[in-house]
Amino acid sequence: MVDAAAAVVYMDPAGLKAIGAGLAVGLTGLASGIAERDIGSAAIGAMAENESLFGKGLILTVIPETIVIFGLVVALLIS
Amino acid sequence: MGLLQKFTRKSSPKQSGSGSNYAYVTARVRAMKSNLLPRETYPRLMNMGIDEITRFIGESQYKQDVDELARTYDGVDLFEHALNRNLAVTFTKLINISEGELNYLISEYLRKYDIWSIKTILRGKYCDASVEEINDSIVSAGQLSYPFLSSLSEKESYESIIDALSGTDYYPTLKGYDGTNLSEIENQLDKMYYTGLSTTVDNPKSNDSKLFSKFIRTEIDIKNLSTLFRLKNAGVEKDEIADLILEGGLHLSIKEIEKLLPLPFSEFVQSLEKYPYWENISGIVKTEMDSLVELETQLTKSNIKSASSFSHVYPLSIVPIMDYILNKTNEVRNLRIILRGKAADLDEEIIRNQLVI
Repeated sequence: MVDAAAAVVYMDPAGLKAIGAGLAVGLTGLASGIAERDIGSAAIGAMAENESLFGKGLILTVIPETIVIFGLVVALLIS
Repeated sequence: MGLLQKFTRKSSPKQSGSGSNYAYVTARVRAMKSNLLPRETYPRLMNMGIDEITRFIGESQYKQDVDELARTYDGVDLFEHALNRNLAVTFTKLINISEGELNYLISEYLRKYDIWSIKTILRGKYCDASVEEINDSIVSAGQLSYPFLSSLSEKESYESIIDALSGTDYYPTLKGYDGTNLSEIENQLDKMYYTGLSTTVDNPKSNDSKLFSKFIRTEIDIKNLSTLFRLKNAGVEKDEIADLILEGGLHLSIKEIEKLLPLPFSEFVQSLEKYPYWENISGIVKTEMDSLVELETQLTKSNIKSASSFSHVYPLSIVPIMDYILNKTNEVRNLRIILRGKAADLDEEIIRNQLVI
């Protein structure tokens, strides 16, 4: 127990910031991935039948990318 | 594959549509639906001559089928076969692109075509049709493949056909066929199809099975209603009608139908007022009816309409797919009616009445 308490005391603030930034980018990345999964597969499905939907499909698929961009912004603000 | 699907469905029953790729299939099906002929096309087709119609179809989404079959057939037959082939290819595609529970539900529904083909083969053998003639009428849109079905039609006798089907669910029913009772076996096959469908969704757990079950039960209601109308109008005895009624309707349960059975036609029509289907048919139904064509068209129309309005309520579910299946079947049916009607020089009014637009 003593060792753990000592470790908390000596934890480098820069390191905590780095962990926070990492979590911000990592978790938002996963979230966009989950959101894009269904949109992407739907876009592929629509494109398989009608190729002219490529542009629309692509745009709709990358819309959840905003989530990870916010994460990146937060990460930059933290560090 | 079936075992794997059963396992995945059991392991996570709470999760709606476990392992199904709804996003992909519904988006693809919606794109496919946009390729169907718009309703304005039909009046235009009605004004065309047969040559213009054939050219129109040859340039539409049926082009590939028409081109491939053009070596073997010509005239109206060519288009009939092209339409059938297109239907088979499209529905097999639906089975191929879906996964999990969705795949299971679609394949169960499309068994209709397996039964159709088995009936066609048996009927063909019954009236000594040639192998080519039988093969021409097969629509392999279900689980049984075309090579398998055509190998069945090449067999000499009905016994060997039934033996070849011994591994399937149809075998127990087909065993009762003795070469004479064909219509009875056909009715039993149809009944088996609907009972099978109702047991598939007997205890619907996921939202999709519930929607699917509602859809199937409405279809059973509509089937029962048109059977009742037809047979009542023809004055058939109630015991004979009772044999042909399917179980598991949504609004018309078997008990309620039993109440309707002994009534004479005019009272039967009046007692339908309390059911939701009345709204759609009230304008057409009379106490004396010579032709039921308009009524049946109206029933089909209301079924298609309700499916498409439901598909907007549940965008990521089985409903848009069922809606597409209905619309596609209907398009093929309409085109066939127009072509055959024009080829037989039927009056335009008669053709128009048969169309479901």
